[in-house]
Amino acid sequence: MNTLSVMDTNFHHLLPQNTIVDAIRMFKKASASEGKEIFGMMVIDGDGKLVGMLSMYDILLFIQPKHIHILGEMEDLSTEPIFEGLIERVKKICVEDLMSTDLVTIKPETHLMMILDIMNKRHVRRLPVINKEQVVGIVYRSKVFNHLMGKLIN
Amino acid sequence: MAHYKTRKVLTGITVNECMRMQVSRLPVSAPISKFIRNTIKQKISATLVDDNKGKALGVVSKTDIISAYYAGFPIETPIGDIMTAPPDFCYPDDQLEEAIDNMRHSGNHRLYVLGASDDEIIGTLSYSDIVGLMYRYCRNCIKSRRKSDHFTIEDIPRLIVKEVMTEGISTCQEDTPIIEAAEILLTQKLGAILIQKSQEEAIGVISRTDLIIAFLHEIETIEPVGRIMNSPVVFCNPQSILSEAIQQMFLSDVQRLFVSSSDSKKIIGVLALSDAACFRSGTCKACTASKLIG
Repeated sequence: MNTLSVMDTNFHHLLPQNTIVDAIRMFKKASASEGKEIFGMMVIDGDGKLVGMLSMYDILLFIQPKHIHILGEMEDLSTEPIFEGLIERVKKICVEDLMSTDLVTIKPETHLMMILDIMNKRHVRRLPVINKEQVVGIVYRSKVFNHLMGKLIN
Repeated sequence: MAHYKTRKVLTGITVNECMRMQVSRLPVSAPISKFIRNTIKQKISATLVDDNKGKALGVVSKTDIISAYYAGFPIETPIGDIMTAPPDFCYPDDQLEEAIDNMRHSGNHRLYVLGASDDEIIGTLSYSDIVGLMYRYCRNCIKSRRKSDHFTIEDIPRLIVKEVMTEGISTCQEDTPIIEAAEILLTQKLGAILIQKSQEEAIGVISRTDLIIAFLHEIETIEPVGRIMNSPVVFCNPQSILSEAIQQMFLSDVQRLFVSSSDSKKIIGVLALSDAACFRSGTCKACTASKLIG
């Protein structure tokens, strides 16, 4: 019961200098080829080293207005044209500007229960698998769930 | 002799009602690039610099970063080398009006709120939080439009943009080098510069955030501002009601609106969130008028 039983070796990645628009395109392409929604990817530099993770969450955080807590109290708003402007801002931003660099990684031999513990405690949906400083795969929370709980329904 | 004291919306309110509890921090050794990335993602304009053990040493703001960009510092320079020290402090039970006066006099846009001991920082106070509080106050006011069954809008004299805005603006051309725009921002202490194509036509804005993103992307300062500007420009009308203008700023997530006269496209001034904070009355004239006490 270690990483290998739940790891995907066919992973997708972004480059630090990709734009956010590139990243969104990559999410869409990867989702189509994997047959499941992919909303987060590893960011790997030219030397094959993992430098960050970018998820849908990071992008949504960026487009969210700063004073959203005040906006929440407004009931009489027509907001659509203004939100378009917020979304346009993404065009100037690169993957490395928004990616999370506070990374949690696992090794191929990490025990499955340890993976579960990390995912639950740190609220992460995906964990890069590193072997000798190289990325060898990724573990998705959905895969861990299906692997552990699938037996119940079969 | 009767002594009149003007009471305003903020009179009697203390710092703790308005401060923000999250305090962004970075160690003194963190590179400028780390600060800029935090700024972009968390939409903060300054961070506290500490010694890794939690002791506050100073503050790094967007202004310090623009100065570093202007002076040609490398993007990996430690923030400790460019920080402003020490930070300005206030206490949670200080009067908000006094805190604003201190901010205005020191030209500092934020104060750090000290807790029970001098080395414990429990929050920050900034102009945008003050405007947020005033806005919320006005929304809940009996005279606000939400409760307009008691009053009609016409009954209440409301503040308009023209009464609060700063007249006159700084502009530059699309082909002005970034370094010149940075110099104007720094020396005139502006939040943004309007970029014009001709005398009348505004095509974009360059803000402090645009400059620090350019620094992060290592764009040479001799490049034209047109390359990094933001467009379109967000405008408002001088006759617009102040509360609507503030709402527009919150919604479009900008710190200022350019004010253009309704008949021509000429830009006559700028309304900044900080102007609205320093004005200290709500968005309706009934507020100041009804609160004069003998």
